[in-house]
Amino acid sequence: MSPGGRQLRVAGIAKAFNGVPALHDVGFAARPGRVHFLVGGNGSGKSTLIKILAGICDADAGEVTVGDETVPAPRITPHWSRRAGLAFVHQDPGVFAELSVAENLVAGRGYPRGHLGKIDWAALRAHAIELIERFELGVAPETPLARLRPAQRTMVAIARALQTDDDAASAVLILDEPTASLPAHEATSLLATLRRYAEAGHTIVVVSHRLDEVLNAGDDLSVLRDGRLVTTCAVAEIDRAELVRLIVGHQLDGPAARIPDAGDAGPERPLLEVFDDADDDTARPVLGVRGGEIVGLAGLLGSGRSRMLRGVFGLPDGGARRVHVGGQPVAPGIKGAMSAGIAYLPEDRDGEAAFGELSVRENLTANAVGRYWSRGRFDRRREARNVREAVAAFGIKTASDRLPIAALSGGNRQKVVLARWMRVAPRVLLLDEPTQGVDVGARSDIHDLLRAAAAEGTAVVVASSDLEELELLCDRVVVLVQGTVAHELSGASIDARTIAARSFDADREAVTS
Amino acid sequence: MSAVSSARPPRLSLTGLERWALVVLLVVSFAFFALDGTTSETFLSAPNLRNVLGSQAVIGVLALASLPPLIAREFDLSVGSICVLASIIIAKAMADLSLPLGLAIVTGLVVGGAIGLMNGWLVAYLRVNALIATLGVGTVITGFVQATTDGNSIVGGISPDLVSFGAGQWLGLPRTVYALGVVGVIIAYILVQTPYGRYLHFVGSSPASTRLVGVDVARTVLGSFVISGVLAGLAGALLIAQNGNATPQPGADLTLTAVSAAFLGATAIRPGRFNVIGTIVAIFFLAFSVNGLTLLGVDAWINGVFTGAALVVAVAIAALLGRRGAAA
Repeated sequence: MSPGGRQLRVAGIAKAFNGVPALHDVGFAARPGRVHFLVGGNGSGKSTLIKILAGICDADAGEVTVGDETVPAPRITPHWSRRAGLAFVHQDPGVFAELSVAENLVAGRGYPRGHLGKIDWAALRAHAIELIERFELGVAPETPLARLRPAQRTMVAIARALQTDDDAASAVLILDEPTASLPAHEATSLLATLRRYAEAGHTIVVVSHRLDEVLNAGDDLSVLRDGRLVTTCAVAEIDRAELVRLIVGHQLDGPAARIPDAGDAGPERPLLEVFDDADDDTARPVLGVRGGEIVGLAGLLGSGRSRMLRGVFGLPDGGARRVHVGGQPVAPGIKGAMSAGIAYLPEDRDGEAAFGELSVRENLTANAVGRYWSRGRFDRRREARNVREAVAAFGIKTASDRLPIAALSGGNRQKVVLARWMRVAPRVLLLDEPTQGVDVGARSDIHDLLRAAAAEGTAVVVASSDLEELELLCDRVVVLVQGTVAHELSGASIDARTIAARSFDADREAVTS
Repeated sequence: MSAVSSARPPRLSLTGLERWALVVLLVVSFAFFALDGTTSETFLSAPNLRNVLGSQAVIGVLALASLPPLIAREFDLSVGSICVLASIIIAKAMADLSLPLGLAIVTGLVVGGAIGLMNGWLVAYLRVNALIATLGVGTVITGFVQATTDGNSIVGGISPDLVSFGAGQWLGLPRTVYALGVVGVIIAYILVQTPYGRYLHFVGSSPASTRLVGVDVARTVLGSFVISGVLAGLAGALLIAQNGNATPQPGADLTLTAVSAAFLGATAIRPGRFNVIGTIVAIFFLAFSVNGLTLLGVDAWINGVFTGAALVVAVAIAALLGRRGAAA
């Protein structure tokens, strides 16, 4: 153990949001010179814990010790956190793609200044070169960050976080899902870097959902489940099956049957067929959804759930998949998807679905404006009538349909954009995180609406990281890994824990194969 | 102008006071100059009122022309220059090519539309910042106008019909006021009665959401610049009618007043949205105020100062209302 290294110890941390406990009596210690993984499923409390340590979120109880300094957890401020030597690299590492490596390294710390306050570029460059050497980044200081590989960008963020660390290895480095968006070889090189820092004496805490990474690159691990610490132990003491059991909370039976062909999912031909290969006509669909069926898309962060939906809707950033609806090929692009009867609700409701300052009415009819134009006039009366009907039918709570949609609650905003598409009776309804940021009542309303749509014969596809939602809603759940279907669950095997376990399994198989 | 580019019009607010504030301001300003001892006699005289009303057609049409791009949250700062260019082209078509009046005006509209097409292509497809693109195009046009005219007005050969249209009256009102009314109706129709008007509001609110309801964002933006170009061409014809000749003047002043009126108008009638009636109210508020101040003995510089100040105040009000809306 390096003399400079500081131990991070948390004890008795508790936090509740609106009376709902997110963390309960969580305590563990991360020691210098070791890589300590923090693992757990969605909603297990990992992110809340990180936020408490960073001073972004106030704990209700508990205390945190860094080195020999102890502070009550509710009193942590970002300032204390930084002074105590906690260095954070968040999921989105907060780097500036257009700026150079050197400028990124000083971002948030101030440029070195020279005469009359002008930026001392020579000093900046010298400082950057020193950091690049110390952290072995292997890049030129003037390289724009956009030109680096993703793992290198994260390494720049790490170097930025650690640079003030004067006696070289006293900082505790905390990383939140640093490898989530990295391909396997990039992740490996990042983990090798973390190992080097650990050997130099740093204490390193990494949040990750990739179990093989935990088992191969970690020294210690702590498992959180439902806001409680399940265990802290050395990685050497645990095997994979045991780790999965600790994360999901119960023993799983043997491996789930792999579904080789989604197209055979039922006797009838699926209404929606999604193909992988752009031009191979003999290929079987990678995803088939029958009319009247609700299919869930599960998978870990970066598994390609959103991409799949965007591709089916003809968006270029989804890889513009080859799609058949009712056996007929769908023309490329959004217009092709829309005229084939495909509807899509994006995850970013306020940025990509709602028109914030426009009225509920204008939002509701946005995808069907042309229908109200006849004989050179806009038929406002019919529009108003249709909107009134939709507001009633979809249970949208608003004082008036002329209010801007931004004035509504999250659940009601979501109902408006859902009503926008369901009103036109789509054949295929694609939804990305349909109840994110939505209150419990609206969530169950939305679920009812989706069931009603399915009952009318619509093929419904729901991508969600809310596993309970998938359990409640879906007839089938497919687990995605790297954009392809790895597992399929149906009937009684759809429960949140099984979905979680399959997601971890699938991820591992994809990484090892 | 860069402060303007980030300014959003105020959010929709249902308070009646806000809706009518600019109308009240117009009435108050009118009443002040009508009652003030030094101005009342001249201000209220029929020739003065007719002069003020009649001289606003060009600015009014230009302000209406700039609405479609503004609604899509883009700027067309070339409307004034297009207007001057069109007036020169229409005059030359009549004087040099002896084209009949109708055909000459059509030539002006086509040239305006073509420049709008170029502006729209630069902004929507090449993604050049609209302020820069239209400012640049407008400057080039102004230079081109100077080069072709050597700075001389075109006085001869202009259709007397056009000149008498500019000088004449119908039912006691200058004929150009009717032209402004017709353009107002056309723009209001496009904005309120066509799907395209909705799409402009969609793009102004959220281009990403617009794309996902199946609307071609780039084509919508392109169209808004074509409309503003064509109408700026029409304003060119009115400029000849108003002045009786075509003068190579810089178009920037016209643009500033037009854009100021559009922003002022967005604080009224339908607060938070650029709208036709608000814009026309704003035009006459600016015109009567400047006229009254001039009659009070203030020098001609008041025109620029008052218009510029009104623009800044309008945008500041817009920002304030927008912030209040966001907090609510």
